[in-house]
Amino acid sequence: MATARMTPGADLPPPRMTTGPAGWARANLFSSPGNSATTILVGAVSLYLIWQFLGWALGPADWSVIPTLGGTLIIGQYNSETVCPSQDCFWRPQVSLLIGVTFFGILWAVAATALVRGVALTVAFVSAGMALMPLPFSEMGMDVRLLLLLNIPAVFLGYWLGKHTPVSSTRNLIIIAFAGFLLVYILLGGTVFGFFDVPGLQVVPSRYWGGLTLNLLLAAGGITASLPLGILLALGRRSNLPFVKFTCVGVIEFFRGVPLITLLFMSQTLLPLAFPRDFPLDEVMRAGIVITVFSSAYMAENIRGGLQSLHRGQTEAARALGMPPWNTTIFITLPQALRNVVPAIVGQFISLFKDTTLVFIIGMFDILQIGNSFIGSNREFLDNSRELFLFIALVFWTINYGMSYVSRRVEETLGVGRR
Amino acid sequence: MTTNGDAQANGEVEDIIIARDVHKWFGSFHALRGVSTTVKRAEIVVILGPSGSGKSTFIRTINRLEEHQRGEIIVDGITLSNDIRNIDAIRSEVGMVFQSFNLFPHLTVLNNITLAPMKVRHTPRAEAEETAMGLLERVGIPEQALKYPAELSGGQQQRVAIARALAMQPRIMLFDEPTSALDPEMIKDVLDVMRELAHSGMTMLVVTHEVGFAREVADRVIMFDEGMIAEEGPPNEFFTNPKSERAKLFLSQILH
Repeated sequence: MATARMTPGADLPPPRMTTGPAGWARANLFSSPGNSATTILVGAVSLYLIWQFLGWALGPADWSVIPTLGGTLIIGQYNSETVCPSQDCFWRPQVSLLIGVTFFGILWAVAATALVRGVALTVAFVSAGMALMPLPFSEMGMDVRLLLLLNIPAVFLGYWLGKHTPVSSTRNLIIIAFAGFLLVYILLGGTVFGFFDVPGLQVVPSRYWGGLTLNLLLAAGGITASLPLGILLALGRRSNLPFVKFTCVGVIEFFRGVPLITLLFMSQTLLPLAFPRDFPLDEVMRAGIVITVFSSAYMAENIRGGLQSLHRGQTEAARALGMPPWNTTIFITLPQALRNVVPAIVGQFISLFKDTTLVFIIGMFDILQIGNSFIGSNREFLDNSRELFLFIALVFWTINYGMSYVSRRVEETLGVGRR
Repeated sequence: MTTNGDAQANGEVEDIIIARDVHKWFGSFHALRGVSTTVKRAEIVVILGPSGSGKSTFIRTINRLEEHQRGEIIVDGITLSNDIRNIDAIRSEVGMVFQSFNLFPHLTVLNNITLAPMKVRHTPRAEAEETAMGLLERVGIPEQALKYPAELSGGQQQRVAIARALAMQPRIMLFDEPTSALDPEMIKDVLDVMRELAHSGMTMLVVTHEVGFAREVADRVIMFDEGMIAEEGPPNEFFTNPKSERAKLFLSQILH
């Protein structure tokens, strides 16, 4: 047998030119004359485009439009003279951010993984980093900067709370997230949903909320609500009870079949009919509900796909052990289904975040509409619209890429045992 | 273990499974055509038969993974019906091992075993884990407790599946071709565990093609054909001197 000729233990070096950057380039870029030509052509075109872009971005481009808009991109009309006459309302969105960052700190303590720590610290330091923006102090006062810097202590405060107080159970986390969201909502509005006003706070109706704050608020609410709602719709669609099943099918098919813009229009005219006449349903709430339900219809179909990808034996094994159907769903099928569709779920999150820009349709000023209307009403900046929209695109891309990156890392972590 | 005498003294039924004229259709396909048999406590029954003969379907009706549409099945004194509490009660008394293992891939071996006792019987975690470790010891792989199923060989996975079923302390174990998906050298490990289980006094219904196992361990062999029991009897008699033509033909095909 040939085995006699094999010297045990001697690792031969790999053949030349298969390792290192040169080997990689050879294998992937220059493996054949055709591939080499393609590589050179695509490389030349890419370099030309990059060169052109850099030549514009660093040369004739005038980025001053961004600092001119400054905080307006972040909070919209919130602190303007018409909305907040004393112009001292800026701290309210900022404290809202602090609340959010504190919550990230709590999550960091609870999850105790490098990924969540990275996310929490990144969010905190990016928020705090805005304090260093090279704007004159007349534009961005010391108070604003200090409040931004507080995001760093806030994330550590959250971490400490998560470690040393009983906030870290799943139930408490849900309660805190919900309470935090309500608190932000009340703080921004200066009123408890129109029932009574908070003493000492200027009432700022939600139609004046704007800028990136509005996008983030709608996205945070939408993302946290659409996942559980999507799960319920997906489970409902698979239910054996005809009433539950057809209700869920109806909701899913209706909201998937109608454009979001149409739904947003309808939210202003039709949604109030679904609530008592005096119910204080403000603009942001209406838009949020529509965006959430729209997104959860897609989410439900993603999750249903995950549920259908599971082998029937999984349910049978659980049922054979005497686990009731509800337990089987919670502990066996749902965790596996969700894990299988993490990319689709995060894709839906990203889609939802981008869709928040559509609220301009109902007259709200999100970050994109702020930029758009600013260019429209300040003709001297007309030539700078490129710079402005590029910047707004970069803001969206950064946040969405962050979500995408987190999703990939989550997939890797959850991939354990599925090899 | 309890002998039959003790069992009767305790007021337990001796005929732990009674099937009377069981019929089952899949759509218009008549899969079980009047199966009647009785299994005594601690009896080991091996079920043989060509594929599509209804043998798997029959043992799946016993824990109601398949619903029978006519006839009567009584498991440990409980008549199978559509009452959901009834079904869950029976399922936790009847353990089942599948051909494709069906371990939960997102849980560690230990959690695979402890999940049902904790959720169904409300056993405290520490106690459930202690039992689970004991069972893993019994099936010979305690060192795999913290791994995920996909990191185990097929034979190890099937032994975990047996431990998982045993964790519910069932009175009956159903095996649905437990070794059919295994490499030859792993079959022995699984059969050894099943042998040990048989000697401990467990009531077992085993669908298998392992003739050696049947000869050695079974108290009775049942041969299914076309949804009916074609022949049954003690293994020695069945394998050496089958009475029906159908059994003779089948044996000539599997005993080459």
